[in-house]
Amino acid sequence: MIQFEQVSKVYPGGQKALSDVNFHLKRGEMAFLTGHSGAGKSTLLKLITVIERANAGRVLINGHNIADLSPKDVPYLRRDIGMIFQNHHLLMEKSVFDNVALPLVIEGFSHGEIKKRVHAALDMVGLYGKERHSPVMLSGGEQQRVGIARAIVNKPPLLLADEPTGNLDPKLSMDILRLFETFNDSGTTVLIATHDLGLIARMKYRTLTLKQGHVLGGDELPSSSTNAFNV
Amino acid sequence: MSKKPQLVRSKLPFSGRIVMFFIRHIQHAMASMGELWRNPVSSLMTMAVLGVSLSLPAALQVLVKNAEAITQSWNSAAEISLFIDDARSEKTIQSLISRVKVYSEVSEVHYINRDQALEEFQRLSGFGEAISYLETNPLPAVVTVTPTLKYSSPTGARELLKKLEQEPEVSFGRLDIEWLERLQAVVRLLERTVLAIAALLVLAVVLVIGNTIRLAIMNRRTEIEVMKLVGATEAFIQRPFLYTGIWYGVIGGILAWIIINILVLYLDSALAELLGLYGSQLQMETLTLVELGQLVCLASFLGWLGSYLSVRQHLRAIEPS
Repeated sequence: MIQFEQVSKVYPGGQKALSDVNFHLKRGEMAFLTGHSGAGKSTLLKLITVIERANAGRVLINGHNIADLSPKDVPYLRRDIGMIFQNHHLLMEKSVFDNVALPLVIEGFSHGEIKKRVHAALDMVGLYGKERHSPVMLSGGEQQRVGIARAIVNKPPLLLADEPTGNLDPKLSMDILRLFETFNDSGTTVLIATHDLGLIARMKYRTLTLKQGHVLGGDELPSSSTNAFNV
Repeated sequence: MSKKPQLVRSKLPFSGRIVMFFIRHIQHAMASMGELWRNPVSSLMTMAVLGVSLSLPAALQVLVKNAEAITQSWNSAAEISLFIDDARSEKTIQSLISRVKVYSEVSEVHYINRDQALEEFQRLSGFGEAISYLETNPLPAVVTVTPTLKYSSPTGARELLKKLEQEPEVSFGRLDIEWLERLQAVVRLLERTVLAIAALLVLAVVLVIGNTIRLAIMNRRTEIEVMKLVGATEAFIQRPFLYTGIWYGVIGGILAWIIINILVLYLDSALAELLGLYGSQLQMETLTLVELGQLVCLASFLGWLGSYLSVRQHLRAIEPS
């Protein structure tokens, strides 16, 4: 699903964010991406979502080589990626329903279909009945779940989450991770970037650790090992 | 991996896509209108600026139209008067008339014999009494020739006059043409001025709309970023802005039309008074419904253009980070 081959990224200022990154996340896999602040987590996610492009190496997403994509193709690739952000990126002046419906509206679904899918997505994240609310009226955890509903509403094959539990207490964090597990169970590939090591320790999933622009654990090890943190 | 996988452009069937295309357009158009409605003060300010900007070239257009109507009613000024040699008999004059009638440049020939000429002169000049004391009729017979439309321009009429003067019965011909030439020159100058001013104001309209749309884009920066992140195409994101531009144009155009009508109403009585002094019965013309349609079409095109230029430049610049 996500394949990085000797990928390097240097920002225009000369700041080296990633160097020689290799890893392969298979279809249907769930993995954590971890590392200190500034280790290159955000850069890696930006390369997957084509917000940034690599200086060297190959990035393959869902079989598409990013280097071959023209700017015109980028939106269509992004439709296959559900993205969840730490600061939610919700539209505060729009209702919960409109926020979640946005990807469907963009893809041109009919009103009836949109309604059905939005309700299903909100039901899945436990926000059924709050369609008419404004995101401002919701708590941090609920806002995060609105963001998750928006990410999964068009059933993308790949789900990316950037610090999805950043501002939440441990219990809420766990709830959200359980939610990701259910998506993963239904076949969605999930990659979660987080520095919440305690959270990772409680779950038995593969962990990619970024350190000074290098990936550790990029080889396809069985997911049981947690010793990646010690490196 | 020899075969390159294609990106899925749409998950909808073809017919569904066509239908949704139109539904989306209508929805975007309505949503843009709603957006303008929600900020009535700033929207109205912009529309008023557009209305005033558009009303000036439209007013000049009305002016040109009226000037043309006036010159048209004076088209008989391009009438040629041929004064006939007194010695000629009625019969030779009739043969002259029948010869002139078959000229391809001539549309109408009118004969005024000496008696008629005297009668007319008595009636119009106010010297009726004095003339009756004259022993002989001093007036020559006149053949008035109206050129066809093609030859009623100053140069064409002059050409025809030269040709007619070759006829032996004609002692001389007259074409009162100088003032017509001047009038036409003034009208031409007016038309050109209108065109230049219209071009400048059209540019102003495009710039005003472009700037307004730029501000709208800046205001919705976060929304645009989010839309780009969840896979919206440029076309999808720019559509509401383009419709906003079109609405500005449409309403600006209608405002301009209203302004023109008020202006004409205001000027009409004053003009009627002036024309009344000249014994003219001309009515001031205003913009017709067809011209309203043209004005609105042009204005909405300008709205679209201004918005498109702005969107091209500023939407590209917004990328999620």
